[in-house]
Amino acid sequence: MKLSLIRTYSYYTFPNFHKPKTQSPSLCARLTRPVCSTSLKPKTPLFLRPPEYSATLSDLKRWQDWAKTLSSSIGSSFLDSDNGPDPSLLCRELNWLIEDSLEDHSVIPQLGIQDNSKNVRLKVDIAELYSLWKQRIEGRKPFQYIVGCEHWRDLVLSVEEGVFIPRPETELLVDLASDAVSNNEELRQGLWVDLGTGSGAIAIGIGRILGTRGRVIATDLNPLAASVAAFNVQRYSLQDVIEIRQGSWFEPLKDIEEKLSGVISNPPYIPSEDIPGLQAEVGRHEPRLALDGGFDGMDDLLYLSNCTALLLKPGGFFAFETNGEKQCKFLVDYLENDNAGSFCNMKIVSDFAGIPRFVTGFHQ
Amino acid sequence: MSSFWLKRSRSISSVLLQNLRTKTGTLDSSQFLNSIQSSQNHTVLPSGLSSFLLKALKNPSGSQYQQFLHRNSKGGFRFFSTQAVTEPSTADGLTVEGIVASQWTILDESESDWKSHAAAIAQSILVIKKRLQWNKLMVRLNFLSAELNKPNLWDDPVHAGRISREHGSLMGKMKEVKAFEQELLEHIDMIKLAREENDTELESESLKALLTMRRISNEKELEALLSGEQDPCPCYIEVQAGAGGTESMDWAAMVMEMYKSWAQQRGYKVTVVDEMPGEMAGIKRATIKVEGEYAFGYAKSEVGVHRLVRISPFDSGKRRHTSFAAVAVIPIMGDGSTRVQINESDLRIERYRAGGPGGQHANTTDSAVRIVHIPTGVTVTCQNERSQHQNKASAMAVLQSRLDQLEMARQAQMNAQHTQSLTDISWGNQIRTYVLHPYRMVKDLRTNYEVSDPDSVLEGDLDGFILSYLSASLDKDENEG
Ligand SMILES: C[S@@+](CC[C@H](N)C(=O)[O-])C[C@H]1O[C@@H](n2cnc3c(N)ncnc32)[C@H](O)[C@@H]1O
Repeated sequence: MKLSLIRTYSYYTFPNFHKPKTQSPSLCARLTRPVCSTSLKPKTPLFLRPPEYSATLSDLKRWQDWAKTLSSSIGSSFLDSDNGPDPSLLCRELNWLIEDSLEDHSVIPQLGIQDNSKNVRLKVDIAELYSLWKQRIEGRKPFQYIVGCEHWRDLVLSVEEGVFIPRPETELLVDLASDAVSNNEELRQGLWVDLGTGSGAIAIGIGRILGTRGRVIATDLNPLAASVAAFNVQRYSLQDVIEIRQGSWFEPLKDIEEKLSGVISNPPYIPSEDIPGLQAEVGRHEPRLALDGGFDGMDDLLYLSNCTALLLKPGGFFAFETNGEKQCKFLVDYLENDNAGSFCNMKIVSDFAGIPRFVTGFHQ
Repeated sequence: MSSFWLKRSRSISSVLLQNLRTKTGTLDSSQFLNSIQSSQNHTVLPSGLSSFLLKALKNPSGSQYQQFLHRNSKGGFRFFSTQAVTEPSTADGLTVEGIVASQWTILDESESDWKSHAAAIAQSILVIKKRLQWNKLMVRLNFLSAELNKPNLWDDPVHAGRISREHGSLMGKMKEVKAFEQELLEHIDMIKLAREENDTELESESLKALLTMRRISNEKELEALLSGEQDPCPCYIEVQAGAGGTESMDWAAMVMEMYKSWAQQRGYKVTVVDEMPGEMAGIKRATIKVEGEYAFGYAKSEVGVHRLVRISPFDSGKRRHTSFAAVAVIPIMGDGSTRVQINESDLRIERYRAGGPGGQHANTTDSAVRIVHIPTGVTVTCQNERSQHQNKASAMAVLQSRLDQLEMARQAQMNAQHTQSLTDISWGNQIRTYVLHPYRMVKDLRTNYEVSDPDSVLEGDLDGFILSYLSASLDKDENEG
């Protein structure tokens, strides 16, 4: 193996996770312990909270007007500085925040009416709404952390600060896996892994397309991500299909003897030098462990490819997300040469913006 | 039995008698009178007429009364010629056509005015007749009767079976309408009689019966107006601003609001599928999904270009401006109907607003998607969902419906059928003008239906326009047919 496991830990140090290569059996047990028992309790997303608060429609309207004005005041400054949101997008987010905060959506059209003293039930205190929107605009806190969820495919996933927010591009990884199993019953009933699962997005997407005997194991080094992923798995009642294991990449799979039907991953792939210039929502708020792919961003992708060559069964499928054309080409080239003979049918697939984004293939 | 009841039964029967006489001319009146005479002696007649009538009059509010009229008009009497060539009329010769021609004002249902009820019912009956292509139906019926009377008809049993089945079915349709006409005219007779006799109880009962009829005829009229295959479907309504920048975008937003309120007032479920806001105000374009019974049937009347004349709120010089908005309506067909097969390879799917390296670099809630169907060039965008996957799914649903509609239009053209509501909207295809200044009016250019209160129309009060267009389309069908 070319790359050491230890490197990946350097961004994010946990007291128990040093030198996993030489870990004792007890440490291994701790690494793979069931996540439910961890003390990290995920936050409940706004839309799932009980409507414990109330306000008059005109108070809500006053807040909305204030928030709109604040959103408009930024003009194109975010867009110009780091490709951030513009006022029209922020206003759309504002509507979604209102949707998630209100118990009864049918009152939304009445927000236009002036001086409405009708009371509505809210899932968050109105004072808190002011603070949340301030954090959105002034702190550039991602909208998904404000409402505690991300709509992804047909799922609504819980996310919170410290856990990577799934991207729209990544939705396609599930479609690619779906295509691979669509007329391959063996793969559909096999064991799949999602490495660096974050909120559990890919694992849940795949868990829902596999057959009755299909299973997914999802791993993440970040314990908070693991517990949020476990929460999301539970919300979609997929505990019997998806197992979340905390640990580094394939490490938590050591006890698994069967070969894998599928390996899917969206590992960190941003070159280290790009990290300081990232859009504020990303650079200031999302965990670096989820983003930084080392010098050229390829560290984790290359490491994962090597392991995949060893663990995938003949005919097994893999799909990785990358930073774009350069990484896609590099990876395909690497797999064809350095792993010569391991993989076939390799493809580069573009995302909806037309950027070559994914590398897929099958084990020989 | 009191003599009062006997007296009344006689007088009403004589009304009926006159009525029958005008209808058939061939009725043996002495025989009929005899029957009534004997009913006064408490004998039950084979026809059952008098006992029915008497019971009905004793208990005029009961359904028996209705039932009686129904039975009566449905041909409970054998004296009727099934041909029924002559026009049904009241004792004083009023016919359904006559009622419509008198143009009695139609008031709200809640107004207890028999003329208003009668006029509304008569109008519905005319619409129903139009839908049935009444004149053609009569010609066909005569032809079929003539066929049936041919002595050698049954030499060809297959042909004979077909003829007699068609005759039976047309006869059924015709009788149903005739029965309805008959019922209306009889109620009118009753009311006139009740007034003559100063019988307020009978008058109010008859009025009630008319109101019931009015509601039924309303429903039947709608069934007749909305008999297209896609009419019961849910639909998309799309509004697009014409040239003219902010002015037109504001107008497009007003039009969209009008449809949202209209649909909500009808109890339909409204979902915004896509909305492209204008830079300063209004919308460049928007699509809503409208779900509920007959959503497409009604909304299809709105297809075309809507024109607004007003003093612009965006013009500091307070000049008069004309703006345009185009409306398209697309049925969402059920799974049962034939649908166009879409090949994934024919699609180009794009993020609507891309930029930057994307992926992990970017955090955005903008997941708008544009789908281009390459062979037809049909383009759909969707940005109102919170995930790209859902935006794609909505866009695909809109695309499917658009392609289905194109295909339908193509087939209809092949069958040389009437495709009025499906024609592509071109900016020349103006259907309605809304004037806010210098005077106030909304006028439909297809039907000349007009109202002087644009505000109520813009708040969704569109049914008058829609219904008048739908019945005008029936006229067109009938003339073309
Ligand atoms: C770009 S995020 C992707 C998260 C998720 N799969 C998605 O697509 O939304 C990368 C994830 O890999 C995890 N990760 C980073 N290093 C890891 C390691 N050595 N082992 C396991 N997971 C790791 C991060 O915690 C993060 O959740």
